[in-house]
Amino acid sequence: MSYHFDWSVLWTFRGALLQGAALTLLLSLAGLAGAVFLGAIAGAVSTAQARLPRLAAASYVETARNVPLLVHIYFWYLGLSSLRLPAFWCASLALMVYCGAFVAEIVRAGIQSVPAGQAAAAQALGLTRQQTLVKIVYPQALRIIAPSLAGVFSQLIKDSSLASVVSVGELTFQAGEIEGVTFRTFEAYIGITLVYLVIVTAVTRGTILLLRGRAPSFLEPS
Amino acid sequence: MDVAVIWNNLPYLAMGLAVTLQTAALVIVAGSVFGLALGLLRSVGPRPLRVAAMLYIEFIRGTPLLVVLFIIYFAVPALIGFRFTAYTAAVIGFVAFIGAYIAEDCRSGLASVPKGQAEAGLASGLTRGQVMRLIILPQAIRRMLPALFGQFVRLVKFTSVASVIGVTELTGAALTVNAREFRPLEIIIFLGFAYFVLCLLLSQLGRWLNRRYAIPQ
Repeated sequence: MSYHFDWSVLWTFRGALLQGAALTLLLSLAGLAGAVFLGAIAGAVSTAQARLPRLAAASYVETARNVPLLVHIYFWYLGLSSLRLPAFWCASLALMVYCGAFVAEIVRAGIQSVPAGQAAAAQALGLTRQQTLVKIVYPQALRIIAPSLAGVFSQLIKDSSLASVVSVGELTFQAGEIEGVTFRTFEAYIGITLVYLVIVTAVTRGTILLLRGRAPSFLEPS
Repeated sequence: MDVAVIWNNLPYLAMGLAVTLQTAALVIVAGSVFGLALGLLRSVGPRPLRVAAMLYIEFIRGTPLLVVLFIIYFAVPALIGFRFTAYTAAVIGFVAFIGAYIAEDCRSGLASVPKGQAEAGLASGLTRGQVMRLIILPQAIRRMLPALFGQFVRLVKFTSVASVIGVTELTGAALTVNAREFRPLEIIIFLGFAYFVLCLLLSQLGRWLNRRYAIPQ
């Protein structure tokens, strides 16, 4: 091994790394918000009784999640290049649509996993259908799906690295820049890996803590 | 919309598709073997190896695929002074990446086999190795099938990332065609459709296998 490690480049380029981390966070948050929005709607709709909305939700989920994220990004960036969307928004929209499909599947499973007796009991007590869903079913479903949702979020943060392909200056892109200037390839990529690790761990733990709340004990996944 | 652009470039796109299929097949086989071995080490290996496997799995699962590919294509050569071709680097990267996820599925598959089965096997005089090979693994693998095919579908989608380090698989080929023809909308929609069909076929195969080999409850 003739390679001499020089980890000081990470300190020298701390500004670029911080900026990259900030953009990764921003990109992930935008993607996350959109994915939760799309996923909650599609997931709730796919448990509806009417056939047509269910079909629409299912076709969104199947189309979005069976196409690679990179192709989603290229769709907004190249395919719709006539719209001239900024690269950041191309990547965000791609993350929203792609990850929204995974959120939808989790939401659907969560709603279906709430025992049917809960809804029946609520209706017996005179709650309307809508009240039953909003006050009884959804809050319980939210607690059940917290860990799976955290999994999708951590995936989303890692997936946001693909935005570097369309020159969004997030972490992975900055590592490429540092590498280009210093040839410190190994240090740059291991360095950003650690940053990803920190962000992913923080968001995963945070999601579980936030959504889990005080789950009723009979709902704790065994 | 001008579908002719796809038709005219079909041979080139088909070549890209062939590379994608070949990569996926190679990585599915190698990744499953690697993941299974890693999962076994993680669950029942000797203690130091168990810890090493855990560290590896956690490291990979915390790292974006693109960064794994960059490390193998750009960073590792700087360390060992030997450069892989982009294709080799992509295959190594995919196997290293998907192996960690398959190892986790394997671990939960192994854990899902009731303890009584292993105890009964040991009590009837089988060795530990025999219990694993004849009793635990066959059941664990059948239980793992849905998760395993989930990983395979992810993998097919992941192969598109190889285009970033310059492999001319389906996505790379489509980008090349677009650079020549500049009909981005048609080409990207075709690209998405091709992956869609591929993933759907693979998950159907997984469902069929699961129906056929699922353990009756």
